Amino acid sequence: MRHPYLVYAGRRLAQAVVVILLTYVFTFVVVSILPGDPVTNVLRDPQNGFSEEQIQAIVAAQGLDQPLLVQLWTALTHFLSGDFGLSMRSSRPVATLIAEVLPSTLALASAGLAVALGLAFAIAYGTQFLPGRLGSGLRALPSLFLSVPNFVIGLVLIHAFGFQLGLFRVIEPESAWATAFAAIALGIPISAQIAEVLIANLDHEARQDYAAVARSRGLSPARLFARHLLKPSSLPVVTVIALTVGELLGGSLVTEAVFGRNGVGSLVQRSAAAQDLPVLQAVVALAALIFVLVNLAADLVYPLLDPRITLAGPAARRPGKADEAPHDAPLRTVTG
Amino acid sequence: MSTASLPAAARHPAAGRLSALRVPPSVALSLAILALVLAWSLAPGLFTAYDPTRGIPAHKLMGPSAAHWFGTDHLGRDLYARIVHGTASSVTSALLAVGIGVLAGGLIGLVAGFLGGLVDTLLARLVDVLLAIPRFLLAIIIVTALGFDTVNTAIATGISAVAVFARVMRAEVTKTRQATFVEAAFLQGGSRWHVLWRHVLPNASRSVLALAVLQVGLSILVIAGLAFLGYGDPPPASDWGLLIATGKDYLKWPWLVYAPALVTVASVLSLNRISRWLRRTD
Repeated sequence: MRHPYLVYAGRRLAQAVVVILLTYVFTFVVVSILPGDPVTNVLRDPQNGFSEEQIQAIVAAQGLDQPLLVQLWTALTHFLSGDFGLSMRSSRPVATLIAEVLPSTLALASAGLAVALGLAFAIAYGTQFLPGRLGSGLRALPSLFLSVPNFVIGLVLIHAFGFQLGLFRVIEPESAWATAFAAIALGIPISAQIAEVLIANLDHEARQDYAAVARSRGLSPARLFARHLLKPSSLPVVTVIALTVGELLGGSLVTEAVFGRNGVGSLVQRSAAAQDLPVLQAVVALAALIFVLVNLAADLVYPLLDPRITLAGPAARRPGKADEAPHDAPLRTVTG
Repeated sequence: MSTASLPAAARHPAAGRLSALRVPPSVALSLAILALVLAWSLAPGLFTAYDPTRGIPAHKLMGPSAAHWFGTDHLGRDLYARIVHGTASSVTSALLAVGIGVLAGGLIGLVAGFLGGLVDTLLARLVDVLLAIPRFLLAIIIVTALGFDTVNTAIATGISAVAVFARVMRAEVTKTRQATFVEAAFLQGGSRWHVLWRHVLPNASRSVLALAVLQVGLSILVIAGLAFLGYGDPPPASDWGLLIATGKDYLKWPWLVYAPALVTVASVLSLNRISRWLRRTD
């Protein structure tokens, strides 16, 4: 059973497990090493009004009086069995707190990804077919999208479509229109990254001999695009999408704050304000888990999608991202 | 573009020098914008006569005019003055963040790429871990643990950028390490340090510089995001992100959002353009 794909998949899977475990340890260490003691900050805050016995009870229940290594071991074993502990602020299970807000964030993130994909393909299509200035103007668009803070995009959308046009009301953040605009705000910066790779790949494919042959056969640009260029150009996008998952999750934190949605972002904000570290740690672990799993899936699926990939030796690496593709290769020769 | 401007350049010596450096117009504009932003942060008093912290209540929420270029805020403070005086904080935070990223990330990448073997594998896993955590979330965790103020948001942003620098530096070092001239330098009896200092670092510096310029722009965005969520210094500080955050409560007077946003976007766009240019020219 030494099929190269199985060897590759096994190695990749082991690597993913190691990274997830290390991420948990890393967050634990960061949170423990950095100055600032959550126990004194939160529990001894006079506003919370805990008595000394209550504080001792909470400290004992959370295991905060144990040595750090013991704490890490307990936390890690509990984490592996799906137990994220109790929130320091509300004493409710962290898993429940996250489960309450996760659907809203996942909905926003997937809608944001859909917007990003649609926009990226539209921009890339435009750069290949729109003549002259319009086409080259589109090439500047990803760069602009990457320069605008996504909360500004959100505010502009709220101002233009919420206040001026009255399409949605800010006090109903979970309504369909509000969600759609939140997804647009989230998706625009991410579309830029996908579009950049897509454009570079399309330019590259359009310069290949097979494209010239197809053109000389009299194939129209639109058919050439749809039949020949699109598939090899969009395959590497699978890996790029997987890499943007982190930004989708991170971007949702800000977008939720702008649109007043109750998602993981607002949970993070409440927990950060109260220094509720168990919650923050669980959110980080979850985000890393999602990121690693999505990338694992992309890496495992990719060799199956693209028959040109050989898994022997060092070739089993990630296929080229934008920085390997020629960014400013000379303009392709236009025939016909 | 450059061939078309050659005859014109011969007539105008200044333009000739510019095209000899092969600076495209958009890059020149970007450099000019950054020079202005830098001047704002070094000597804000030269650019505005208004006090950024003291407002005239009777003049609150006035639209942009000749007297108040960007209008006034809810306390009657001149918004242009607030942006100009907030520049220093936004710019130094971004530079501090990139400094941390370059030093820590560069060192990790250098050691991993130059030594290779087990050290490389261990550091690669560390970088994987840093990359697995969404950058913005990582920054929030670190700033929560450190405490909320602007310097800490810069440190958190810097730490969240370490992985990117480590990866690029490692790639560059590994590439140079295998080059024939490095082998030759070793054969001539060059010590590790000599080869590292004389050959490996200079070859990596170009890519790292382009990345650093790009990351200054990204850091401005991340720090603005953290300030927007209220993790930086509280008002009357006037970091760009904080100004936008204050403006969002007064969306009926949209210049309070649009003016600081415009300055932020112009700066980041300029940095991206220059980074792209550094990567392209040889």
